[in-house]
Amino acid sequence: MAKKKAGVDRRAFLASIAAGGAGAAAGGVTPIAAAAASDAPQNAASLPSVANASASLPGPRLVAQEVGTPAPDIDRWHVRNAGSDYMVDCLKHVGFDYITCMPGSTFRGLQESITNYGGNSKPELLSCTHEEISAAMAHGYAKMAHKPMAIIVHNTVGLQHASMGIYNAYADRVPMLILVGNIADGATRRPGVEWYHTATDVAQIVRGYVKYDANPQSLQSFGEEIMKATSLALTPVQEPTLVLVDADLAEMPNDAKQLPLPKFVPVRAPVADPAALADVAKALVGAQNPVIVADRVARTPAGMALLVQLAETLQIPVVDIGNRMNFPTNHHLYAAFDRGSIAQADVILGLEVGDFFSVVGDVPDFPVRQTVMKIKPTTTTIHINSMYLQGQGNYQDQQRFYNPTMPIAGDAEASLPYLIDAINRAVTSERKAQNTARAARLSDAWTKRRQNDIATAGFGWDASPISLPRMFAEVHNLVKNDAFSIVGPTGQMGGWPQRLWDLDQPYHLNGGSGASGVGYQHPAAVGAALAARDQGRYAINMNGDGDFMVQPGALWTAAHHKIPLLTIVHNNRAWHQEAMHLQRMANRRERQPEHATVGTLINNPNIDYAKLAESFGVYGEGPISNPDQLGPALARALKVVKSGLPALVDVVSQPR
Amino acid sequence: MNKIVSFTLALAATLLVTAHCASAQGSGAAPAATAPPGDVARGKAAFMSFGCYECHGTVGQGNYGAGIRIAAPAFPWPVVSSYVRRPAGDMPSFSVKILPDATLADIYAYLKSIPAGKPGSAIPLLNSTLTPK
Repeated sequence: MAKKKAGVDRRAFLASIAAGGAGAAAGGVTPIAAAAASDAPQNAASLPSVANASASLPGPRLVAQEVGTPAPDIDRWHVRNAGSDYMVDCLKHVGFDYITCMPGSTFRGLQESITNYGGNSKPELLSCTHEEISAAMAHGYAKMAHKPMAIIVHNTVGLQHASMGIYNAYADRVPMLILVGNIADGATRRPGVEWYHTATDVAQIVRGYVKYDANPQSLQSFGEEIMKATSLALTPVQEPTLVLVDADLAEMPNDAKQLPLPKFVPVRAPVADPAALADVAKALVGAQNPVIVADRVARTPAGMALLVQLAETLQIPVVDIGNRMNFPTNHHLYAAFDRGSIAQADVILGLEVGDFFSVVGDVPDFPVRQTVMKIKPTTTTIHINSMYLQGQGNYQDQQRFYNPTMPIAGDAEASLPYLIDAINRAVTSERKAQNTARAARLSDAWTKRRQNDIATAGFGWDASPISLPRMFAEVHNLVKNDAFSIVGPTGQMGGWPQRLWDLDQPYHLNGGSGASGVGYQHPAAVGAALAARDQGRYAINMNGDGDFMVQPGALWTAAHHKIPLLTIVHNNRAWHQEAMHLQRMANRRERQPEHATVGTLINNPNIDYAKLAESFGVYGEGPISNPDQLGPALARALKVVKSGLPALVDVVSQPR
Repeated sequence: MNKIVSFTLALAATLLVTAHCASAQGSGAAPAATAPPGDVARGKAAFMSFGCYECHGTVGQGNYGAGIRIAAPAFPWPVVSSYVRRPAGDMPSFSVKILPDATLADIYAYLKSIPAGKPGSAIPLLNSTLTPK
């Protein structure tokens, strides 16, 4: 279907002529005048009369050519068979369960179709108070559900709000479909706001961190672009994609009536070259101290089992950077964050490592920044990484260049079965015989590490503000026998769940933000908790107060949609990392480090997060600063969560 | 020997060597073996205002990804007095200009005053499995 050039009022105008007779008396009403009149009160007496149309207006033949038989679908006030109904069919066809949304008039047609035509089910609209929440929810959801969510945002200002959330998802290699309402035709925009909320190149705002964007000019093209954009988003490297939703296409009738839905078949992930995998197998079999470094390996629930199989084949310890739930924390080959083993390794196999340079080197934060290497010069480094297949020019999310001994392009998870097979072909009986001793040594190292972590967790146990290991231990005590998901990163809090909890299910952890853009964690946790709810679990999120306050409105979304999420605010009353940075600057300049807290504390007045939660309709507890009161408060909140609702506990905690 | 005590002693030995070297590179004088008298209350206030708590926690307990444990027990004075001036790791240097010796002595008095708590192995909530799967 060709896109109509003049939009709503031109079509309505033509249709009205067809209905009323083009040969009526002249009156000088132009389409532009009719467009202006469309904002007038709906009073028939005030509307321009089509009977006043001039003799120069199109005759019945032209009208018939332009609009066919318009009367059943459109008149001055009504539209049937709206184009956005077909758009909903497309979203259903691909299989989107949810679409996050803060209302915006540029996509009002599609929003109405989702609810009234689509029945507000698959996709169901999720109400958000900010577009950054929409994006972050989709980000968290996709990792937990292993399927993408769609978001729909208003033109320009809505996309600008969403942009940082989109950037986080891009850097975290997470798919989402971004729909952006757009009134492309300037002749049909109402004066004022509709012009502010339009751009010549709408997607330009986020083009540096979306994988693909499209601006379809017909419904058929819209359907095809939805399939293409979703397919590209899901194909490793997984990243957000964007499709514009033209308001004219959405709001006007679908003239084609029965447009076919394009076929949607997900693309198979790229597997590494078999010859390269044979080389990797040979290197690992011959290594004395090999180490696997896993980052974004487990794209699906199958990923963890495959990585376990790989590690066990040669008894190789796994350092888990933790952006996915890659490896069970209670497995004897789990090496947590122990990068000391990397320094001693003779072969390092990196799998989808976002920053491989930081595995092997560093640039310490001193006035003179110098590069230092952390591995032996003789160490063989291997990296199987889908990011070798992609490059973007502007943002530096690919981190510092480091060329491993064997850089191999391919999706790690998809390549693991073939790598395991290659190892099984390469391994000798002599090498297999070493596995028992290796397993015993690594098992002993695991036990020693956990003993050390238990001892460390005990330091400051009774302190107030409450120590972070105490906070985590109190939570663990209540949830350890349940099916739960931890839906926020914990690395900056010491990574205590990874150290002391037995996390051995693909749904136990949900990784981090990707680009460390604050404001990710809380809304992403709500999105992930939604996926966990649908899978029959509840979710837990230990959230720093600085991040939490960027988008606290996500609490309302959790309450509105009854999402069972236990939010524990790690309330150190500071943007603490920044306080540390400022202190470093002051010390370096030898002047008043005690001023590092100026502008970095969140106090005076202290924020009452429990009251904030209650204002959003969420059960709140706290502030809790006495460690002995924490367990009971958490238990009360968890009871609410287990009933299917969100709850929040404000824990006044140690800075780190 | 308790693993943590063992670790701490090893670290202290390392830091002592570091402290000696740092001192040798600085004034040339060996660090004093014992701390000058300090005031616990003033030391606690300084520990907070100078930002020591930011990495080491308000009772010096430390945490992964931040600072190490520096209290209960505190490191020997020669270690502390030298290390804060010329740290070996990520810690920023506190020169005499911004942290006078007397204030450092107060901070040390505070660190020494912090009581040792129960060991983690004796805390029921930390009763985690020690056998991997």
